[in-house]
Amino acid sequence: MVTTLLSRQVSLRRILVLGAATVVALLFLSVPMGATDYVIYVMVLAFLFAALAASYDLLLGYTGQLSFAHGAFYGIGAYTSALITLRAGLPFWVAFPLTGVFVFVLAGGVGFPALKLRGAYFAVTTFFFAHFVYLVFLNSVALTGGPLGLSGIRPPEGFNLPILGVVDFGSLRIYYYLALAFLVAVVGFLYILVRSRLGRLFVAIREDEVLAESIGINTAAYKVLSFSISAGLAGMTGSLFAHFFRLLHPSTFTWMTSEMIVIMTLVGGTGTLFGPMLGAGIVTFILELMRFAPELRFIVWAVALLTILLFEPKGLAGIAVRLFGRLV
Amino acid sequence: MILQVEGLSKAFGGVLAVKDLTFGVLPGERLGIIGPNGAGKTTTFNVISGEYRPTSGVVLLENTRIDGLRPHEVNRRGIARTFQIVRVFGSLSVREHVLTGLISRQPSLRISSRQEDEVEELLEFTGLERFRSTLARNLTTAYKKRLELATALATHPKLLLLDELMAGLNPVEVEESMEVLRRINEERGITLVVVEHVMRAIMGLCQRIIVLHHGEKIAEGSPREVASNPRVIEAYLGEEYA
Repeated sequence: MVTTLLSRQVSLRRILVLGAATVVALLFLSVPMGATDYVIYVMVLAFLFAALAASYDLLLGYTGQLSFAHGAFYGIGAYTSALITLRAGLPFWVAFPLTGVFVFVLAGGVGFPALKLRGAYFAVTTFFFAHFVYLVFLNSVALTGGPLGLSGIRPPEGFNLPILGVVDFGSLRIYYYLALAFLVAVVGFLYILVRSRLGRLFVAIREDEVLAESIGINTAAYKVLSFSISAGLAGMTGSLFAHFFRLLHPSTFTWMTSEMIVIMTLVGGTGTLFGPMLGAGIVTFILELMRFAPELRFIVWAVALLTILLFEPKGLAGIAVRLFGRLV
Repeated sequence: MILQVEGLSKAFGGVLAVKDLTFGVLPGERLGIIGPNGAGKTTTFNVISGEYRPTSGVVLLENTRIDGLRPHEVNRRGIARTFQIVRVFGSLSVREHVLTGLISRQPSLRISSRQEDEVEELLEFTGLERFRSTLARNLTTAYKKRLELATALATHPKLLLLDELMAGLNPVEVEESMEVLRRINEERGITLVVVEHVMRAIMGLCQRIIVLHHGEKIAEGSPREVASNPRVIEAYLGEEYA
């Protein structure tokens, strides 16, 4: 009797969750039909930041490694993709996966020595790496255009679809769907990954690295793998940004970009994937709302971050768990 | 010999924690290592398990050198351990915790039903089955140690290094743990090397005991021989009692 009642409640909950998810999905799909260009533009940026925060959560939330270089890999991805299309003349659809592979490998090269350091030492190293990358963007005039930036980046090549006709990624509304599809793919991938055997090993490292190593987990290799996957996804996000914004400037990829990703992830709640996405959405919109006072934003964010971490260290996801008993 | 330690020394700066230590472990044996605080017991374990590189000397597992290997490689060769200060993956349930030990080296991405069965069997064996869904961090110290042991067993070791598994346990828990260890040794054929301060446990469990003092081996023999050895009594209680 009790068990049937319980299972009925569980299935009711599942229906509610599925229903809510459907409503949210429909809402997101219908945005381009009603909203203004400006709102759509901000939402594309929010999707890209959500992909950054979710991929960063793999490293911080699931593997327990605090890095301040996620924005740097995002920037490297953006410049790499832009340069592949501009200099080598390859189409976006080739440059996009190529960028992911390139940043994945590059991050392996950075992570291998850097992850020999632990905790704060690793964090500080990534911080300086991020600043180093910014300086390269700023000063390699021949390659990146330096402070003048890199312009003339083309949108992804369109194609013909049987019923819908020409899909033109130069259109803001079409790009909205591309960014949304990318976000769904990234989160789907990460969702499967963290529940796989590999994800369990990452979590073991987060929980206790010494114990993980002692039961046969090659912690050094798995940390680098997590770092690389996370960075590779950031690189692909950067590629999408480059071909959306079509103009790259070093100032987009200062150390503050990495910091914002860390803040989004912490505010949303680490180790939940969905929390960081929510955090990214909220941070992006509040940043837009505060465009009138750019300098004030950092102060507001510092206060917001400290407040949320004081009252609920698990972030927005932690508040949701308190309210509803668990996360969906 | 399943394990041979030859001329092992470990220095931390100017401090020699272990000095020219030589001993062997027979397959299927239950060997105890005792000694006063700071005798070098845990350091010896940390060198064998790959936590530290020895300053000099060699460690052989089944006649193959394992000194200088990283801890996960030592585990793969067949040595599992528990820690003096208990370590658990706090946010994992007891079931997931043991499963992690089982999948740490499997190449497949998926977890098979055979592995699930083995986890259940290990939980039952170590008396943890009723805590299956409890988070590791919510267990008492006694059960955390049990969980550490179950997870170590999940890695299919030939040899187990147990570092003060009984510390902080009440007499009933000590009794239970001794029983579990005896069964691990007798039913599973796993060789045990035990560092312990609970004398009743080590005297009752081990067939042979090595005594360390200031990083050196000062006595070796059956529990009875060791307990009556004047050098051992001197090391523990001071000269006037020897």
